[in-house]
Amino acid sequence: MSRNSAQWKQRPDFPETHFVDTEIYTDGSIFLAEQERIFNKCWIIACHESELTGAYDYRTFNHPGGAPLIVIRGEDMTVRSFYNICPHRGNTLLYDPVGNAKRITCIFHAWSFNAKGDCIDISRGKQGYQERFGCENAGLREVKTEIGFGGFVWVNIDDDSCSLREYIGEAMGMLDEQLSMPLEIFHYHKAVVNTNYKLWHDTNSEFYHDYMHYFNRITGMMQPGYFDRKYTGYPNGHASVGSMSIKYDAYEGSKQRGVGWPGLTPGGWVLIDIFPGMTYNLRTSVLRMDTAIPLGPNKLVIEFRGLGLKSDTPEQRAERVHDHNQIWGPFGRNLHEDLLGVHGQGLAMRERTDSKWVLHGREENMTIHDEGGMRHFYAEWSKRMGRNAFDPQHMIDTPVVG
Amino acid sequence: MDSRHAISELICKSCMTLDERKFGDYLDLCAPDYHYTITAYSPEIRKDMTWLEHDKTGMQSLFANLPKHNSDQSPLSRHVTVYTVEQDDDAKEAHVVSALQVFRTTLDGGATELFAVGKIHDRVRLSDGQPRLLDRNVRLETRMLGFGYHVPF
Repeated sequence: MSRNSAQWKQRPDFPETHFVDTEIYTDGSIFLAEQERIFNKCWIIACHESELTGAYDYRTFNHPGGAPLIVIRGEDMTVRSFYNICPHRGNTLLYDPVGNAKRITCIFHAWSFNAKGDCIDISRGKQGYQERFGCENAGLREVKTEIGFGGFVWVNIDDDSCSLREYIGEAMGMLDEQLSMPLEIFHYHKAVVNTNYKLWHDTNSEFYHDYMHYFNRITGMMQPGYFDRKYTGYPNGHASVGSMSIKYDAYEGSKQRGVGWPGLTPGGWVLIDIFPGMTYNLRTSVLRMDTAIPLGPNKLVIEFRGLGLKSDTPEQRAERVHDHNQIWGPFGRNLHEDLLGVHGQGLAMRERTDSKWVLHGREENMTIHDEGGMRHFYAEWSKRMGRNAFDPQHMIDTPVVG
Repeated sequence: MDSRHAISELICKSCMTLDERKFGDYLDLCAPDYHYTITAYSPEIRKDMTWLEHDKTGMQSLFANLPKHNSDQSPLSRHVTVYTVEQDDDAKEAHVVSALQVFRTTLDGGATELFAVGKIHDRVRLSDGQPRLLDRNVRLETRMLGFGYHVPF
């Protein structure tokens, strides 16, 4: 039976932890609060260490909290991060996404910095500032940086944050062994989608949407063990999903994956969601890493990385690339479908569409079609935001958590 | 028809058949040992990337599976301009470089946007009476393809 306006807006008859108000996906003030309370407080992946192999190699990274960053490996091979902002007139220091810079010189007035963030030259400094201002006053703003959990470079804008290891806790336990050897990136692309970042992370936090993927239905959902996979929630909003054996040859034109991954059972698949928008997706032979970087409440850029083992032979690497591309990458069977899904949500939930609720009400003992992964995320989100996701316009001291 | 004309027509037909989703006709233009790749260079990771790679059987499977997937149905228009044709008479092959622009037209309203640019590098077999595609590399400059696409360029 269809519903009228009042019925459409009526609160779902679920516990308050089992649905959210769609304003959390569309409201500009909520997005600004998320940048301040979540993204500028949490550890975020900026890149992988294999993107910075030599001294002075750098990557630029637009942090989801707003700050543009430089991630650079120093002469001492330590990776550090700084605001990509000249302290003089606020210009961008490094324009390219990648490069090698022993000396970072602003093109505007030629102020120079080293890979430790020290200002090493102010052009005609003495003439202009006399003794009032010098290099010692003009260092770059450093951002906490750690490498870990598969060699990813993590940054945290908050000088007072806990360590990366404390932030992750036990959440990466299912991949401890699999990520213990050096990895190497072989795939990188970005996708901009008009949707909210949480909707992408939601997609990575629930498998009920396997109904959207023919590939996953035929190789996973219809195979033994699929409905036994379980979600496990961890402190700080992280979650993992247990493995099963994927039957890749059930898809026409596909075959069982041969190359595998050390420590992972053949055909295995482990997924770990890291709050607020990163996902480790180790699927038999390839690690995919998603990093969600919101540009606004309804605009998102997602960085997709594909990684293999640094020790790969050319033949092994070619197999991993092939396995990756079959379902992921811009022409993959699954990624396109996932992105279409969140694109559609963005269309339907943008402001003034009168969307109201999103349901997270499935309970199946935390197995694969339970929506507990999303409930776990929104419990953390509500705590950090000081408001309940089902009633986001009211600040509260103690949010309702699942 | 001279051979350059025939080769150019082959390249154009390969795009027209994909535009019209006449996948069987597209495969008829390909040699049995056809090999297809989409590649791009990523300045971000300083590496060449392969985004799609199939032999002729793999392309057949890809096309056969399309109706089972959820896909963007916006039609594509592949605009191709043959730049160079270098014939190797001994090998009975030609190496062809073409410019490619791919436009996407929305189903709702019919707005057209540029989707991708790049070059097509083809190896064409000339020994079978009429030219056949033997190896195609779609080399993309464009690396941001939004929510992507299920049909090869």
